Amino acid sequence: MKVIEVKNLTKKYKEHTAVDGISFDVEEGEMFAFLGENGAGKSTTINMLTTILGKTDGTAYICGHELGKEDDEIRKVNGIVFQNSVLDKKLSVKDNLLTRGSYYGLSKKQVLARLEPFSERFEMKDIWDRKYEKLSGGQRRRVDIMRALINNPRILFLDEPTTGLDPKSRKLVWDYINYLRKEHKMTIFLTTHYMEETRDADHVVILDKGKIVTNGTPAELKTRYAHSRLVWYTAKGEPAESLIQNISSKFVYDADHYNIETDRNLTEFIFEHREEIRDYEYVKGTMDDVFLNLTGKELAS
Amino acid sequence: MKDFLGFTRRNLIIYFKDVLAIFFSLLTSIIVFVLYLLFLKGTFVDALEATMNGLENFVSGGDIDMLANGILLTGILGTAMITVPYTCLQTIVKDRESGVDSDICATPLKRWKIVLSYFTASTICSFIMTSLILTVGLIVIGSMGDLHLSIGSYIAAYGLMFLGSVSSTALFMLVMLFFKTSSTSTAFFGILSAAAGFIIGAYIPLSQFSDGVQGFCNLFPATHITSLIRNILLSGITESIDSSIGGVDNGAFITAVKDTFSFNAHAFGTSFSGMNSVLYVGILALVCVAAMMVVYSKTYKK
Repeated sequence: MKVIEVKNLTKKYKEHTAVDGISFDVEEGEMFAFLGENGAGKSTTINMLTTILGKTDGTAYICGHELGKEDDEIRKVNGIVFQNSVLDKKLSVKDNLLTRGSYYGLSKKQVLARLEPFSERFEMKDIWDRKYEKLSGGQRRRVDIMRALINNPRILFLDEPTTGLDPKSRKLVWDYINYLRKEHKMTIFLTTHYMEETRDADHVVILDKGKIVTNGTPAELKTRYAHSRLVWYTAKGEPAESLIQNISSKFVYDADHYNIETDRNLTEFIFEHREEIRDYEYVKGTMDDVFLNLTGKELAS
Repeated sequence: MKDFLGFTRRNLIIYFKDVLAIFFSLLTSIIVFVLYLLFLKGTFVDALEATMNGLENFVSGGDIDMLANGILLTGILGTAMITVPYTCLQTIVKDRESGVDSDICATPLKRWKIVLSYFTASTICSFIMTSLILTVGLIVIGSMGDLHLSIGSYIAAYGLMFLGSVSSTALFMLVMLFFKTSSTSTAFFGILSAAAGFIIGAYIPLSQFSDGVQGFCNLFPATHITSLIRNILLSGITESIDSSIGGVDNGAFITAVKDTFSFNAHAFGTSFSGMNSVLYVGILALVCVAAMMVVYSKTYKK
């Protein structure tokens, strides 16, 4: 079942077009990733789908509710984790979550009941009474995710949720996201400029200058737009280069190895020349390569 | 209703949990009080005594002291009426700057309820703080002498605190529309808090200024409230002084005191009666509330 259906969605600011007629669908329960550099239109798209920004053109349905006409219904099914923390720094975690719950018409009892299934997993007990400003970056993100879960959303929007976090906190955030996806079957709509974060997505859309450049599963995109590489650790020159000419003309020698770009299946070739090719690595194409090939730009990894 | 109350409660907590914000919102009032202890009282008493003109034997020094103390209290209340709602409403700018407004707009809370919540919370903050100052002031002054106030005067005084809180908040709601960052709203607050004492006539009686300046100062509802509260809080003591004079001066002394300390607001050659001031403040509040409901709702539709 499709939970998000977008057709020709556009956002214009006077002369500037931030989002330029994009179309895509998101299936229930999948993790959908929006990949693009800063200013590509990722956050603008999320802000439109969560009713924060008005659209200039196009149509969008969130869980069957039409954007711009049934915004109140859409707000009830969306949860959003913003790029920057948007909770009140002077308030405790508890006060922050209870006040945010009240915006959905929930009583204190109802908020606690909604968060109860996640509290233990998100280790909320230790930070419940602490001021938000006193929390570490990772702890804040944890609370931000809890805040997004208050209204029991069907779709969780995450706008670059790990930007600015240290590696340990990033891993923790991803543990939580995977937990929500697997244990609670939540639809995850993610924007990121970290390539590795799209690895486990069911569907990836690459956005550049407000337009969709391509979309597909990570495997499909890598097959279409990235080349696999054979890294062969050997001495430079003959006989290695004659052998390489049999499989590819695109190769360079770096330090102590050849980097050979090829789309051929090399299993048979390597087996045949197992006496010569003793020390090697076979590297699959990455999302970095996909992005670089499509946009000519490199993203953070 | 829960959503509206919840957001209003949040805005109240934001102000009351920020000790620095409370301090700065009362800083001008504190400065007025400190200046009073240092030299303003002497200036007020000198001005009152200069107006007496041979009535020294009829008016006691204690009554003059009570009159000066009362004028101080109304000055403190008037400045707080400007600085407290402004500080509380800075939450709007901070929310806009930090993206908190996006978080709020992503919830089912209606846009008009968001605007009304900011307004309500600031009005409540201002009413609580000014009522607190009024209560403490009345207790302190009451311990020094008799203000000759009736129960009705007390009720009217708290009523004026409410009216002043509503109108000042409504006016500053519109002012907040002009600020995109908290640094600019804070810079403006610096100017406003420095000017507040002059605007309501806490440092120098407004009667000392030109007609144009008085007119500008009386655009602020807080200035009218200061005049109105002077009438209410000091009506007992002025009547007591007047009766102790016994009609020898045909009420000239009290009339001179009321003129000097602007018991009635003056603007552009016109003197406002108490009822006219109430009407002006009430109409200004209504116009500002109507304008804010229209304009703010548009700012949240990006």
